[in-house]
Amino acid sequence: MDKSVFALEDVYFSYLGKFPALCGITMQVQKGSRVAVIGANGTGKSTLLSLLDGLSFPDRGTLYAFGEQLSERMAGDDDFWRLFRRKVGFVFQNPDIQLFCPSVREDIVFGPLQMGVSPAEINKRLESLCAVFGIAGLLERQPHQLSIGEKKKVAIASVLAIEPEVLLLDEPTAGLDPQTSREIVDILFKEHEKGTTIVTATHDLHIIEEIADAVHVIGGQKRIIRSGPAEQVLADQAFLQENNLIHTHSHRHKDTVHTHPHTHCDHHQPR
Amino acid sequence: MRNNSSRFIERSITGALSFLRNSVFADDIALQKGYLQARDPRIRAAGIGVLLLAVLFARSALFLSSAYLLCLLLAAASSIHTMFFLKRTWLFIPAFAFFIAIPALFNFFTPGEPLISLGHGVSITEQGLHGAVIFFTRVLTSVSLAVLLSLTTRHSVLLRVLRIFKIPQVFVMTLGMSYRYIYLFIETVQNTFTAIKSRVGHVSSVRKGQRAVAWNIASLWLRSYQLQNQIFSAMLSRGYTGEALILYEFRAGAKDFFWLGVTIAVFVFGLWTNRYLH
Ligand SMILES: Nc1ncnc2c1ncn2[C@@H]1O[C@H](COP(=O)(O)OP(=O)(O)O)[C@@H](O)[C@H]1O
Ligand SMILES: [Mg+2]
Repeated sequence: MDKSVFALEDVYFSYLGKFPALCGITMQVQKGSRVAVIGANGTGKSTLLSLLDGLSFPDRGTLYAFGEQLSERMAGDDDFWRLFRRKVGFVFQNPDIQLFCPSVREDIVFGPLQMGVSPAEINKRLESLCAVFGIAGLLERQPHQLSIGEKKKVAIASVLAIEPEVLLLDEPTAGLDPQTSREIVDILFKEHEKGTTIVTATHDLHIIEEIADAVHVIGGQKRIIRSGPAEQVLADQAFLQENNLIHTHSHRHKDTVHTHPHTHCDHHQPR
Repeated sequence: MRNNSSRFIERSITGALSFLRNSVFADDIALQKGYLQARDPRIRAAGIGVLLLAVLFARSALFLSSAYLLCLLLAAASSIHTMFFLKRTWLFIPAFAFFIAIPALFNFFTPGEPLISLGHGVSITEQGLHGAVIFFTRVLTSVSLAVLLSLTTRHSVLLRVLRIFKIPQVFVMTLGMSYRYIYLFIETVQNTFTAIKSRVGHVSSVRKGQRAVAWNIASLWLRSYQLQNQIFSAMLSRGYTGEALILYEFRAGAKDFFWLGVTIAVFVFGLWTNRYLH
């Protein structure tokens, strides 16, 4: 139990009690592991991450984080949440939501400031994040003056500034060019080497093998329909097609011809 | 011809939105070097507060006009372009004061000795004119002072200063959230506008736009309200506790206290003019 970061048992969640978003999710996330949650649009990935981040609570079923059950009853426990917020960082799908300060600099220091990290330490983190993400020149910009790739980098930097033990990422590479995707994947790889637990929601199959060891596939019924090592899940092309995960991709690749023939799963099969 | 005028509407709406966003939300002037920017934010705010009190208590038109001149000098000394400053203060806010002040000119609101008779028993009275001038310069100067403070102080710093002055957290938090909300609302309007444009080419009439996209105030409010909720979650997620915090410590020096001293002197002088200058 003590190595498990998250443990979900038959979790249900619906918006406003009438729009079901998760229907019976059971999964575990071990400390130091890398997990990907994949599924087509609207299968509940973002909802799942917001539950893991304690921003909403299950309607039914149980969700344990660090051995404590997250539920409405925990809502008033300030000490717990202070610790929880320091341990868990969440990069939202939409960087316009994530970046709520008037400048990039203020966004990056927001988390650690709220958590009472000393100014000297915050400045140290700011400096090293600027170097890692190459965003030193953007610090005084307003977030809306950034390109989508820059926004995403700043969003991730603003969460890494907290130095979380667990990183939740919602579609970290959606809509980015290959170069920027690459940089982000590399940064996540280094984070994992430091021992950070990483949970990523995505439908970008390109990056899965590099950012995850275990994969959970959420189906149209909004529950997990397959779990396993990344390689194994990615190999079952018929299954992925059936669940709307490679259909759109193969379309796109036909346009740009042959650079990635068929799907990414093909590369993996010969191994 | 029609086409030209609709392009004009389109351009002026987008222009107005950008202007609003840039003038209300930009922190760039606060980052520049200048007299007010160099003052400790707490004392900068306190000094402006003292000047504001002086203006509110003053009853001399001469004093009020001089105080306004002082605002212009301060703006110039704080790398704010005079035209920009005038636009901000004259066009935006005190327009309303003008409309309140005009009726007071006339004798049915402020009876007195006729200065200019307009016939039919209506005339501009001396007392009325004097009152209107006082009122107008007072509003103009107060607004200018507020604009000076907000232009030369970063938004996050301003919130922090309010907390240091013991303004309750809930007010400061509400202020901060409102600021984000207005920002979001402008952005939502802008995005909706772009969406309309991309579907109908250009916006010739509100009705035509309405048909293309759900363009109505209710849906805009709703959308920005939902975004606001999501933003609040994002803030919570990064440990937001409602406190306004900034990275560096404020530090006050002799120059800052000199500034405060000057503003207090102006305040005292203002009270003196009430007695001896009329
Ligand atoms: N604020 C909301 N109100 C009502 N329904 C919502 C809301 N957000 C998401 N949903 C619904 O919940 C389901 C899961 O959404 P989401 O978690 O965003 O999926 P994903 O991230 O996998 O695309 C969808 O059917 C969606 O329509
Ligand atoms: Mg999503």
